Amino acid sequence: MERYLNTPIKEIITSFPEVGKILEEYSIGCVPCTLGSCLLKDIVAIHNLAEDKELELMYRIEKTIYPERDIKKPVFKASKKEPDKEIRYSPPMKRLVDEHTLIKKWIGRIPQVIENVDIESESGSQLILDGLDFIRFYADKFHHAKEEDILFDYTDKNLDIIRTILADHEAARGHVKEMLKAIGEKDTNAIIGHLCAYKDLLTEHIKKEDEILYPWIDRGLSTTQVGELFAKFNEAEEKMDKGVIEKCQKFIAEAEQRIENFHRS
Amino acid sequence: MMDGCPGARTQDFREKETKGDESGKRQSQLRQWPIQLHLVSPEAPYYQKADVLLSADCVAFTVGDFHKDYLKGKSIAIACPKLDEGQDEYVEKIKSWIDDTKINTLTVMIMQVPCCGGLVAMAQQALQSAKRKIPVKSIVVSLQGDILSEEWVEA
Ligand SMILES: [Fe+2]
Ligand SMILES: [Fe+2]
Repeated sequence: MERYLNTPIKEIITSFPEVGKILEEYSIGCVPCTLGSCLLKDIVAIHNLAEDKELELMYRIEKTIYPERDIKKPVFKASKKEPDKEIRYSPPMKRLVDEHTLIKKWIGRIPQVIENVDIESESGSQLILDGLDFIRFYADKFHHAKEEDILFDYTDKNLDIIRTILADHEAARGHVKEMLKAIGEKDTNAIIGHLCAYKDLLTEHIKKEDEILYPWIDRGLSTTQVGELFAKFNEAEEKMDKGVIEKCQKFIAEAEQRIENFHRS
Repeated sequence: MMDGCPGARTQDFREKETKGDESGKRQSQLRQWPIQLHLVSPEAPYYQKADVLLSADCVAFTVGDFHKDYLKGKSIAIACPKLDEGQDEYVEKIKSWIDDTKINTLTVMIMQVPCCGGLVAMAQQALQSAKRKIPVKSIVVSLQGDILSEEWVEA
């Protein structure tokens, strides 16, 4: 069906005249159009039918194109279209939100890691060290630096909200420092304490940024500023060591397996 | 019931009440010539690092405050994705804006009719094939000149 969604309507109607008749029933009059170059998906989207009507229409078109297929008839709930609650970010802001997603993946694993810290074993201490590297290079150098050196220039740094955010970054750096020290001293309790505190701090911090700070900054940005910000992020990333960033992304991809192996051993 | 293609259906808005301040004179916000996408050179100086507005032909006649709210501060090109020939060249020109002229942003302004979506599709195609990436915004205008949506396009 995907293929037909991206096919000009004239082609579809030529092959399946029945589709033209169905569209007419929904007041979508593509049959007499001499061009017919609009894609099926655009036509359906732009007519903005009620949700159940759209489902019904798509079901009927699919059934016409693939009569042999066993297509499930959609259940039509008489529900009104929910208002769009999803936050829309500008492209530079979206990039920061995507970086949060990766950071949250590591934060989500911390409880499992804490459960079984074994700083004496080679693999146990390596897992903690690699996790710490992810925090230092990805969450801090790569991500927080973009916020501090670029994004916050578009705000008043004396505002409470920015001060709070900056204080969070500092607190996070404090935990990293303490963790490094604790690893050196093989102090398991201190490692657990700071890892836990980091998790709680960043969970709240990211929520604040995603839900309040970023949408607020976004609302104040002009189109020109959005473009500038996007270009500055690109420039900053080009200056960074790509190998280190890739290593961080790889760490997250492999973390689950490593934690599991660790549990088993 | 047969309505025909919404892009070509006859509609009469003459009864519409016109409100708003009509006093005074406003200057044109246009800062360049030419403007038609086939006629412009993508490397013209007015596109260098600019915020570019790619507008469907009908938009400027529809939106009352087009100059003040949308053209101001931007460089423009206009095109019709339904009727214009040689649209491959359009995609190449948009790509050249992104890669060679290094434009800052691209705003694509289209009418609500389905065929107009082709202009956004062209911009997306150019963006995907370009080496540089830039933010691209799409603004959809109703036949009576209201802004129906304004959103950043996913690359
Ligand atoms: Fe932050
Ligand atoms: Fe952040």
